[in-house]
Amino acid sequence: MKKLLLLPFVALFVSSCSFDMDDEGLSHWLSDQGMPSSYKVQTVTVSNLKPISAEVLQDSRPLNAITRGMFGAANGMSIDAVFDFSIDSAFTARMKKTDSVKSSLILRMVESLYKSKFLPLDFFPIEEELKLNVSWILSEKLSQKEWNKLEDINDSVWLHELESWKTKKKADTTISVSVGRNDSLVFDLPSALVSDIRKNAGYRRLQLRLSAPEASNIYRFYGPGVYFPRFHIEDLGGNGDYVTYNAYRSASLPKNREKCSDCLILHSGVFDSLVVEFPSKPIMKALSDFYGDEFPYTKGDSNDVRQAVVMAEITFFRDDSKGSSEFDFPIMLETGSYVDSVGVAVFRSENYKIDRPRINESGHPNMVFHNGDSLALQVTAGMRDLINRGGDERSFKMVMRLGSSVVLDKDSSATYRVVTEKDTIEYDNGGKIVVDQGDTLDVFFSEHDYARYDFTSIKNKPATLKLWLASKRGEE
Amino acid sequence: MKKLISALLCVSGFSFASMIGVDALGQEQIAGGSAAMAGRGFAGNAKTGDIEGVSVVNPARQAFDTKVVLNLNFLLDVTTVSRSSSSFTTSTISMPSMNLSFPMGDFGTIGVSLWQHYASSIREDIHNEEEKWNAEIEYQSSIYELVPTYAIRLPFLRMVSLGASAHFVMGSFTRSLTLGPDNSEISKDDAWATSNAMVSDYVKGDWEIKNHSAYYTFAAQYRGRMASYFFSITTPYTLSNELLYDFRFSALDTLAPTRYTREIKVPAMLATGVNYRFNKRHNVMVDVAWRAWDRDVENVAGSWGMAEITKTQNDFNISLGYQRDGSDVFYDAYWDRIAYRAGFWFKNWYVEDVSEIGGSIGAGLPLGRKGMMLDLAIQGGARLADGDRNWSEGFFGIRLGLVGVGNWGKTRGQ
Repeated sequence: MKKLLLLPFVALFVSSCSFDMDDEGLSHWLSDQGMPSSYKVQTVTVSNLKPISAEVLQDSRPLNAITRGMFGAANGMSIDAVFDFSIDSAFTARMKKTDSVKSSLILRMVESLYKSKFLPLDFFPIEEELKLNVSWILSEKLSQKEWNKLEDINDSVWLHELESWKTKKKADTTISVSVGRNDSLVFDLPSALVSDIRKNAGYRRLQLRLSAPEASNIYRFYGPGVYFPRFHIEDLGGNGDYVTYNAYRSASLPKNREKCSDCLILHSGVFDSLVVEFPSKPIMKALSDFYGDEFPYTKGDSNDVRQAVVMAEITFFRDDSKGSSEFDFPIMLETGSYVDSVGVAVFRSENYKIDRPRINESGHPNMVFHNGDSLALQVTAGMRDLINRGGDERSFKMVMRLGSSVVLDKDSSATYRVVTEKDTIEYDNGGKIVVDQGDTLDVFFSEHDYARYDFTSIKNKPATLKLWLASKRGEE
Repeated sequence: MKKLISALLCVSGFSFASMIGVDALGQEQIAGGSAAMAGRGFAGNAKTGDIEGVSVVNPARQAFDTKVVLNLNFLLDVTTVSRSSSSFTTSTISMPSMNLSFPMGDFGTIGVSLWQHYASSIREDIHNEEEKWNAEIEYQSSIYELVPTYAIRLPFLRMVSLGASAHFVMGSFTRSLTLGPDNSEISKDDAWATSNAMVSDYVKGDWEIKNHSAYYTFAAQYRGRMASYFFSITTPYTLSNELLYDFRFSALDTLAPTRYTREIKVPAMLATGVNYRFNKRHNVMVDVAWRAWDRDVENVAGSWGMAEITKTQNDFNISLGYQRDGSDVFYDAYWDRIAYRAGFWFKNWYVEDVSEIGGSIGAGLPLGRKGMMLDLAIQGGARLADGDRNWSEGFFGIRLGLVGVGNWGKTRGQ
């Protein structure tokens, strides 16, 4: 019986060994069946496309600065930093007799930025007189048990609370900042803060907020997950006693300070988004003209599967002069579109497909702060959905954001490139670097550039849409 | 239950080798695809015996069985498809049917068959730069039937039996044409957009009968001393194939598919046959089955300018067979205990201008004392096709049938 059961398998084995398909015969047979050998790619261009609406959605959520935080102001936005300490005032109580007590906040600067080889030549020195506004919330007296529990507060709970920050005390001060390579940043804090702590002895929670809306730089520091931000109190008069408290958590609170309400200004580094909505009519008309079929398709369930969008690219006019950035690198735009998912419009990020010859010649087409006056963004998923379900007369909605800074602007590698020969590479922002065989170069800069870019021209200057289509229509 | 059976059939790899009618119904597996029947040219639906088992054409026959029969059939098929100087060969292994019949004495015989009635199966990758082929073609269609049968000998006329079966139709259809881009119409500067962009024209759906849960076969059988006859009629039915047409980039990246249900009107089938026994163990037999197709079969097509219909013709099957029964005495010589079979058949397909002629030889080999049998059949023939679309085919096949016979539920006295 066992042998019998084996027979079919033996037969299968024999058959798979004995016969090979003859490709030529098969292809002729398939042709006779009318089966397709490949799909024909056709392109359709829709020019003069004007948006129905364009709107900037600003991101103002507090950012968790567990590994790194930001503080300062630049390019139409400011970022406050908040630190959460638990202090016991035994130390300051001991110093009651002397008036010369100094407190400061010590932040370790992010090395990957401030020691980066790719910064613009004029990036350093960073020096400024910083008008600093310090505000704080000193809690009621806590029991030791409560005080010990401060460490357990969930970060996300704290971040949520920060959205409705209510300052109890504040003081202004001005400090001189000078950032060189490999530096820590020390902010001397106003004496009012120390006085307040000295007056209120016992176990307490201190939440400290720094803001400098008039600053001209945004400073990056390590968060408590990497290197603790420290609150330092020192007795200058006595024997030089000091105490240092580590922040349990820190946060960055971005704020948009643009004044023009009608302008379409995006900031990078935060999740500002520009949503642009186009009417479907001109797109459907162009398709009707091209195929001679009815668009949108409304037969049956209205789902149009006569063709599919292989690639869609929309090109906008671009004027970099109204934008400004920190690092002078080109910034790549991230795009997405709203597609239908079981009757609900959901956001879908677009996969960026690389046009190698074009990038090698003139750089990525989806960058701002770069040569040229156009911006080409891929919107394949959105267009595919629009044409597939255009029967319900939906419009086309796309989203764009400022993404990463591009170091190697004419490199078509996805994320990094391995150098094959000794070379000197010049960056778009004027920097130069000597590389040797085997070196690995990142295409993108590791830090966000807190840049601003004005897209207001999108409202008035028409865009051009190009579609690459795979059609199932047979030969007529 | 349907899902369970589907899974079972997937595992057993049901498929046939003919490439004719792939976009319509596919190849029909006649007479339930049993290896014993195939050995005698698919004739012998009228032949009665102790262990003949289920016949999907003649459900009345099993009333004369006396033993429980479990029967599994396998087919290895090699088909060469050719036209003028072009040809290619496909080979498949499949399991056309499984049958179980259970005689209950005066209460008649019940049986069940799981029969793959129609199937088409292709899976080929063709990448040929010269002829611009850049495609992966896949067809997997399987219409199978779960056929419970019942037959009983008339109490007042013991040589006559009546039988009926219900055919519950199930199955699935998948067609996937995965294609690479042809950039000949676009500018060279635009070709980047289609690199690695394989697109699949994907169609998927289920088979069922429209408005009914099953179609039926009714049969009457007469068993004489020498000659036995049967006559059966199978009701017409409409196959409904609810299809989802899609255009997809991957299984997770698809368009919203559109639905279309194609309906195929399968006409009634009339079948009759005679078995004549002489010299105790020699049988000659003739079977005829006939269906008058009055409508064309709608194809899956749906795109690329593929033909929308497959034209039909009256389909009939004439079989002529011979069998020398094996001795059922265990002490006889082994060669004498073997059943020998041979036969021919001519079949007009449901597809217009396609006919099939075939011949076969077979043997039923007893295995041991425990009532096991191995049916072996070797078949060969040709499918002749006219017209632009279908190519002629030569086929060669080996069928195996595993038969288990038992006396379940019977006492010595019976």
